[in-house]
Amino acid sequence: MLGDLINPYYLQVGSFIMINIILGLSIYITLSSGQLSLGSAGFMGIGAYTSALLTINYDLPIIVGVIAGALVAGIIGILIGIPSLRLTGVYLAIATLGFGEVMRVFLVNWESVTKGSVGLSGIPQIGRELLKFSRDSGFSPMSIGLKNNQFVYLMVLLILVIINILLIWFLIRQNKSRVGRAFAAIKMDEKAAEAMGINITYYKVLSFAQGAILSGFAGALFAHVMGYISPADFSYHRAVDILIYAVFGGSEVIWGSIFGAAFMTLLPEVLRFISEYRYLIYGLVLVLMMAFRPQGIIDVPLLQKLHLTKRRSKHGSKN
Amino acid sequence: MKKVLNKGFLFMAVLLLFALTACSGNSSEKAGKSASKDGGKVSAKFGVVSYMSGPGAAYGEAITNGFKLAQKEINEKGDVHIELAIEDSAGKQEQAMSAAQKLMSDDGITAILGPTLSTEMNVVAPEADMNGIPIMGTSTTAEGIPQIGDYVFRNSLPEALAIPAALKKAVDKYGAKKVAILYGNDDVFTKSGFDTMKKAAEDMGLDTLTIETFQKGQSDYNAQLTKIKGLKPDLILCSALYNEGAVIMDQARKIGIDVPFVGGNGFNSPEVIKIAGKAADGLIVATPWFADKDDTKVKDFVKKYETEYGKTPDQFAAQAYDALYIYANALKNAGSTDRDEFRDALAKTKDFPGILGNFSFDKDGDVVMDPTVLIIKDGKFQQFE
Repeated sequence: MLGDLINPYYLQVGSFIMINIILGLSIYITLSSGQLSLGSAGFMGIGAYTSALLTINYDLPIIVGVIAGALVAGIIGILIGIPSLRLTGVYLAIATLGFGEVMRVFLVNWESVTKGSVGLSGIPQIGRELLKFSRDSGFSPMSIGLKNNQFVYLMVLLILVIINILLIWFLIRQNKSRVGRAFAAIKMDEKAAEAMGINITYYKVLSFAQGAILSGFAGALFAHVMGYISPADFSYHRAVDILIYAVFGGSEVIWGSIFGAAFMTLLPEVLRFISEYRYLIYGLVLVLMMAFRPQGIIDVPLLQKLHLTKRRSKHGSKN
Repeated sequence: MKKVLNKGFLFMAVLLLFALTACSGNSSEKAGKSASKDGGKVSAKFGVVSYMSGPGAAYGEAITNGFKLAQKEINEKGDVHIELAIEDSAGKQEQAMSAAQKLMSDDGITAILGPTLSTEMNVVAPEADMNGIPIMGTSTTAEGIPQIGDYVFRNSLPEALAIPAALKKAVDKYGAKKVAILYGNDDVFTKSGFDTMKKAAEDMGLDTLTIETFQKGQSDYNAQLTKIKGLKPDLILCSALYNEGAVIMDQARKIGIDVPFVGGNGFNSPEVIKIAGKAADGLIVATPWFADKDDTKVKDFVKKYETEYGKTPDQFAAQAYDALYIYANALKNAGSTDRDEFRDALAKTKDFPGILGNFSFDKDGDVVMDPTVLIIKDGKFQQFE
C-alpha cells in the first residue's frame, strides 16, 4: 500500500496541483481587492525565465533563483500596477492580457538570452539537485527503501506542500488583518473605501504586486520542476487556465481558488481512461458549472454549511 | 491562528488523499499483465505518449494508427508479442510528463514511444533517462534530442539532416548562389528549422541576402515577399508549417516570384498542394517518407493503411509504423524485457530495412539514413533528380 502511494505519477500530479494552487492564489489575491488581472501568465513567465537564466548561467542555487524570480516579477508587477490603476474591470483585464502577450513576444524575440521560441532546456531540476545533494552528504534513498525517482518526487512534493501551507496561512492571516479588510472594502465600493480613509492606490498596488510575486514564484517553481520552459508555456491559454481555477472554485473565498486549481489539474488525469474524450468532459463541466453555480463551487454560504468557518458569522454580528 | 493552521492541514490532507486515490483506479489492473516470456516468445509492453486531443490531434491520430497497424502485423507474425499502453499528452508538457510518469511507474513497461512534440520530449526524456527507460521519439525533429541521454533515441529524420540534403540538391540543380530566408519566429519547430537553414546556407558558401520573419497565424506576407523580390534571390529558404507556407507560396507567385522554395519538414504535406494549387509548384523538401515510392514494402503499407483507416498515411504514420518494427526487432534480439538489455539491443540497430529506407542509429541514438528529396511539379510530389 505504501509503495503504491509513493508512485511517482501521483507525486508528479500532486506537484502540479501544488504549483497550480499557487497560481490560483495569485489570481485570488488580486481579485480580493476587486481587480481582474489576466497578466498572471506573463508574470509567471518572468519568474520562470529569471530563475532559469540565473541558475543556468550563474550557477546560483535554485532557492536564490526562485526568490529572485518572484522578486523580479513583483517589481515589474508594481511598475505595471501603478499606471493600470486607472483602469477597472474589463479594461484592466484587457490591459493585463496585453501585458502577458507582450511578455511572451518579448521572450520569443530576445533570442540572444532566451533562445527564442526553442526554449530553455537543462534547467536544474529541484528533485535531481536534491538527490545529488543527499548523495554527496552520504545519504542514499535506498536506505529508507525508496527508489531514486520515488525519493526525488516525494521530496519535491513535500517542499511544495510546505510552501503552500505557509502561503495559505499567510494569506488567511492577511485577510483578517488591516490589509485584508482594506482589500475587501475596496472590492465592495472603491469610493466609499476612499471616503473611509483607506489609501486606495497603496492597497491596490499592493494586491496587484502580491499577485505578481505569487505568479512569478509559481513560474520559477514550474521551471525547476519541469526542467524545460519555452515562451509558449506562458501564452494567454495559461492565463485563462489560471482564471478558470479561481472562477470555477469560487473567487470569493481563498478555498475556492485552491479547490479550483486542484480540481482542474486533477480532472484531466482522472479522466485519462477515456483518453480522447476527456477534454470534452472538462469543457462540459465548465459549461454546467457556469449555468448552475456561477459564483463557483465554494462560496461563503457553503463554507458556513460545512462549519469550516465561523468567521463570517462573527463578522455578521459585529456589522 | 491555530485553528487556521489546523484547517489548512486538514484541507491539504484531504486534497492529497483525493489526488492519490483518484488516480489509482486503472493502473493496478495493468500491473497484472506485466511482461513475461512464454515458451521462448518474448512478450513486452511498450508505453506510448501521443498528442491525441487538442489542436494537433491529427498528428497523434496518425502516429497511433501507425503503431496499431504495426502492432497487429507483428503480433500476427508471432516472433514477439507486443502490447501498447497509449496515453494522451494533449500537446502540453505537463500532461506529457504526467502521462510518461504514469507509464514509467508501471514496472511492466519495457520502453516508451513518443511523445509527439519536441517540446514535450525535452521534458520527458531527461526523466526517462534518469529512470533508465529507453524512449524513442517518432516525430521529434528538433536539435539535440537524442543527446539528452543514453536511453533517448529517435527515428524521425532531424531537420539537421533533411534541410541540408534538400538544399544541396537544389543548389546543384539550379546553380544557386544567393538565397533569401523566411521563417516563423514564434514556433519551436520553424525556428529550429531556420537555425539549420542558416547554418546549411553558410556551410555551402551561399550568400544570404536577407532574413525575414513572420508570426503564427499571419495571413499577409506581401511586405516580406516584396522585399525579397527586390533582392532577386536564386532560391528562397522557407521554414514554415504547411498552412502558413502554402499561403506564402501563393502570395509569392502572385507578385511574380518564380524561384524554387526549399522547405523544412513542416512544409512537407500534401495539404500545401490543396491550399496553394498551382502556386505550390517548385517546392523542394527532403523527407524520409514518400508514399509513391516504387517499393513493394511501401506499397503494401499504403494499401493496408488505406483499407484500415480510409486515408493515405503521412510521414507521421510511417515513422510510427517503422518505430514499432525497430522496437520489435530490438526486443527479438535482446530476447528479454529487461530495460537495459533492450536498450543495448536497440542501440545496435543497423541497416534495419523499414518502409522509410535502411535505418541505423549513430552513437547518440540519432538517425542515420538517406532522405528522399521531393519537388512539387504539376500539382504532385515527385522525386527530385
